[in-house]
Amino acid sequence: MQLKNGKSPTFRRIGAPLAAATCALLGQSAPREVAAQELMPWDIDTSLLIYSESDGRVRDTSLNARARKEIREEKFLDLTLAIDSLTGASPSGAVPASTVQTFTSPSGNSQYTVGAGAQALDTSFLDTRTALSANWEMPLTRLALLSVGASLSDEYDYTHTGLNARLARDFNNRNTTLSFGLALANDTISPVGGSPVPLAPLLGLGNQTNKRGDQSKDVTDLLFGVTQVLNRHTIVQLNYSLSQADGYLTDPYKLLSVVDPVTGNPVPGPAGSGLSRYLFERRPDTRDKQSLYGLVKRDFNGDVLEASYRYMTDDWGVDSHTVELRYRWSFGSGRYLQPHVRFYQQTAADFYRTVLFNGAPLPTYATADHRLGEFDGLTLGVKYGRATARGGEWSTRVEYYTQTGNPAPGSAVGALANFDLYPDLNALIAQFSYKFGRR
Amino acid sequence: MNEPTLRRVLAATGAALLLGGCAGVQPWDRDVLARPEMQIVSDPSEAAADEHIYFSKEASSGGQGFGGGGCGCN
Repeated sequence: MQLKNGKSPTFRRIGAPLAAATCALLGQSAPREVAAQELMPWDIDTSLLIYSESDGRVRDTSLNARARKEIREEKFLDLTLAIDSLTGASPSGAVPASTVQTFTSPSGNSQYTVGAGAQALDTSFLDTRTALSANWEMPLTRLALLSVGASLSDEYDYTHTGLNARLARDFNNRNTTLSFGLALANDTISPVGGSPVPLAPLLGLGNQTNKRGDQSKDVTDLLFGVTQVLNRHTIVQLNYSLSQADGYLTDPYKLLSVVDPVTGNPVPGPAGSGLSRYLFERRPDTRDKQSLYGLVKRDFNGDVLEASYRYMTDDWGVDSHTVELRYRWSFGSGRYLQPHVRFYQQTAADFYRTVLFNGAPLPTYATADHRLGEFDGLTLGVKYGRATARGGEWSTRVEYYTQTGNPAPGSAVGALANFDLYPDLNALIAQFSYKFGRR
Repeated sequence: MNEPTLRRVLAATGAALLLGGCAGVQPWDRDVLARPEMQIVSDPSEAAADEHIYFSKEASSGGQGFGGGGCGCN
């Protein structure tokens, strides 16, 4: 058969898909009309986050990428990738002493010393974390949306795998949305040098006889939420969530100092170790948390106020309040400045101890981890953003985070009264983000 | 706040929200609410970074989304 010069209607109909298929086979980009119909571009966000604590403590440099694409009509795929590089020193939980203190590192292969009166920081802390997640979002009916996802993260001593699902249904002419979410996680903890026997003493160089194998934990999260449009300018959200953790919830690297109840000085550790007495911490192997979260977002002629409050309570005795305020002040040409303030307050876990006293019976659970102590947190920050000509945005935010806390009551005995038993934490947070445009 | 109080607050706020919603905003009046900065989570990267930081440094997590985690954060 000979093809005529003038294209028949049939030829025109099959022409475009054929051209696209040919181009795909040849690895070339398809003609524009076809691309516009079938290949919506990815929405891509990238950011660099720097979290840096003062006094040489933890520093995290994190690269993050998020990509979202409408794969089919109203069906979206979300992918995220985060790579964290952690360096610096982490508080071990031991208190300062009037003399130099020596500690065996978690691997058991080396030791480090802490000067008289100084905070005990474990300097062997170094890790890289890679985290991936994928999420699929699709309408179930005209008013119901289902999203399912999986997450995976890996670091030298910790692996996380998780699954989650969330169902949202609109009511009241789409002014009300009810949502329900479920997340399941299974984490494996493989501490450097093994997981210590809880409340066992820190041993000397090369002696790892009180270390055991890998540990694991399971976490189940449930979330019930209501989102409500109040008027043309205001939207509110209220969530209630439940979280249940089961398994190894202890921090394998944290210690407690055992001191003389009168002098507050360290007491000798295991015979021949050359160390003072420090015990590995122990936390309960279950934890139930509940939280209530409320958010109000309101537009003021182009500016946006966002206020939120969270109350959290758990069966470890921790209650916390978090208040956050953001005001996005737009000043034309897609530019904005957004101040941010966050107040946080928590009570101590029932088993939080700053020290253990020599001769006293050992408690069932004990931790000196400051994160389970009583403290207030304050974050002050500002973000500047600017739209790009292609519909994207770049932004920079700088924030200052501080924690001020109190040691467990009755801890400052003898020499310990001379030391700061709950040193402040000061950190700088900087994030640089770039959102690619779609035009 | 003890548990019964928490439940009462939850029920009362939920009921108020549902009743308050009856007035409603029509689809053609959603121009303001449709703006990216008016979304519940307007910057997912910032939200994820904050979730990760505060999960690592405080005894609380979650609230808006799931409880975060997936790290042996020191």
